[in-house]
Amino acid sequence: MISGRLRFESSRATEFVDLTRRIRDEVKKSGLRTGRVHLQSLHTTLGLAINENEPLLLRDFQHLLERLAPGDVGYEHDDFARRYEIAVDEPVNGHAHCRQLLLTGFATLLVEDAKLVLGRWQSVFAVELDGPRHRELAMQLDGDFVEEATVEGRDGSREARLVELELARQLMVDPDPVALPMRRLMEAGGKRLRPKLVQLTSQIGPRHDPVRATSLAAAVELLHNATLIHDDYVDESTHRRGRPTVAAAEGAERAIAVGDYYFAKATRLIAEIGNSGVTTTMAEALEAICASQIDDVALRGAFPGDHDSYLRVVRGKTAALFAAACASGALLSGAPPEVVGALKRYGDRLGVAFQMADDMVDFSPSSGKPVGLDIRQRVLSLPLIYAAEDRSVGPEVRRLLAGSLGDREVGRVAELVTSSNALRRVGDEARGLVDEALRELESIELDGLRPTLVSLARSAVDRTA
Amino acid sequence: MTVQILDRELERLESLWADGLSETYRAYLETVGGHEPEAQPKLALAAALIEVGIRLQGLGGHAAPPPTLLMGDLCLARASRLLADTATQAVQVAFAQAIEGLSAAAAAGNPARPVRELLVHAFSAGA
Repeated sequence: MISGRLRFESSRATEFVDLTRRIRDEVKKSGLRTGRVHLQSLHTTLGLAINENEPLLLRDFQHLLERLAPGDVGYEHDDFARRYEIAVDEPVNGHAHCRQLLLTGFATLLVEDAKLVLGRWQSVFAVELDGPRHRELAMQLDGDFVEEATVEGRDGSREARLVELELARQLMVDPDPVALPMRRLMEAGGKRLRPKLVQLTSQIGPRHDPVRATSLAAAVELLHNATLIHDDYVDESTHRRGRPTVAAAEGAERAIAVGDYYFAKATRLIAEIGNSGVTTTMAEALEAICASQIDDVALRGAFPGDHDSYLRVVRGKTAALFAAACASGALLSGAPPEVVGALKRYGDRLGVAFQMADDMVDFSPSSGKPVGLDIRQRVLSLPLIYAAEDRSVGPEVRRLLAGSLGDREVGRVAELVTSSNALRRVGDEARGLVDEALRELESIELDGLRPTLVSLARSAVDRTA
Repeated sequence: MTVQILDRELERLESLWADGLSETYRAYLETVGGHEPEAQPKLALAAALIEVGIRLQGLGGHAAPPPTLLMGDLCLARASRLLADTATQAVQVAFAQAIEGLSAAAAAGNPARPVRELLVHAFSAGA
């Protein structure tokens, strides 16, 4: 079973957004051979439909919806004087809810021979009824997936599947009170960049051992997720990857226990690999992560902080595990010290650049995440630091950040950051770090893996989610 | 353990030393006689950091406030690195399994064996 989200942006009040190609891509990417794709709208004014993508017909549908639930007849739902706990930005949209009632919020599509089963004229639409908005569909693919051995290529697709299987195997043997929250977190997504780095770098030296590399890659991912579980409690985050955090869903006590369990399990899996260099590298990274978490929280008293503090925290909090993933994969493969060192520096630069790109996502309306979450949680963020330094918007940004941050203040800060050149500066700096990371690879023999490492580094910063 | 080594390994955790970590360390030091003499202080400190760390976190009890949890996390991470530096693979695995057992019990709301008993037992792994 593979779970994920399809995110998109509608551009009109009523709109038929054709998702057929994207769903086909998801099927292809997943390796699903025979099975089903389940889609579920996560909104009460967004429906799903399977029909023909013919522009005039789509207008007919729109007119039909308008006739059945006109926008101008008055709906009790829109009588705010009679409703309780209305959000400040509550829209007048009784008609959209009523129209959604005429559609469906769910769809199951069949997959045969690795292809979506659709009739000649059938397309899959998300039907926007109250746009324009950022929208999200939950998606699950289940059934028979292509055998791992037949998924070819050194781009990591076969290795990625092996890691997923190893993670599933590890979670299967764990007690439910810890395994279930971790499984929910892992199934909700995640880019799996760290395990990918382990698996790629484990092919560089003379001793490529896919089994141990997969085990190490899975352990690194478990370790990463264990730190996220504690982070979310510390940051009082309610959601991660579109789902409630472990702390929000099950309480702080459970979150601490689940984080500890997988911290310990990951260190055991790493120890069992039996490579002392790998064990030490990962242990040092974990120590750096924890020390930086303490610095991160301490710096919130001086929010938004400065560039040097930012780099110091991010080097530990994010880049340490990227660097350790690269170095440990190379160590496992028996790569010479200069190669291990270069890959460690590559991982470090990439990790910092990745975090900068992640900071920028907080200001991207198309990311599918609520804009301004970092501002609200007073999380260290380079765009905010640069905006606060900006001659024109800086004074207002600093004044707003010094006070309490309600919806209006968060929205205004996000607006100021976007209107300044802060995001451009951060983007330039992240790309500069990627260039620096790639220069580390120039002097070492990478056994044909250079293009993959280059592409992975570029894609880590050129993203919107 | 020499003063220099102790100072280095207690960086950022100095306040804990006076707050019970030193007694816990001495108690474990008495249980690591079967290991190489030069490894004994680091092994004892690793065990003491785990015991103090999970107490700080509130594992199995009330959750610690975030700053205290992070100190607990750092204790566990430091212990993990000390074990990676010093312990045999069998001891590293046994320590990790002890924490897995404690945290699984805490997640299920079940009572667990005393931490010290588990960690002292872990020292005997592979012996």
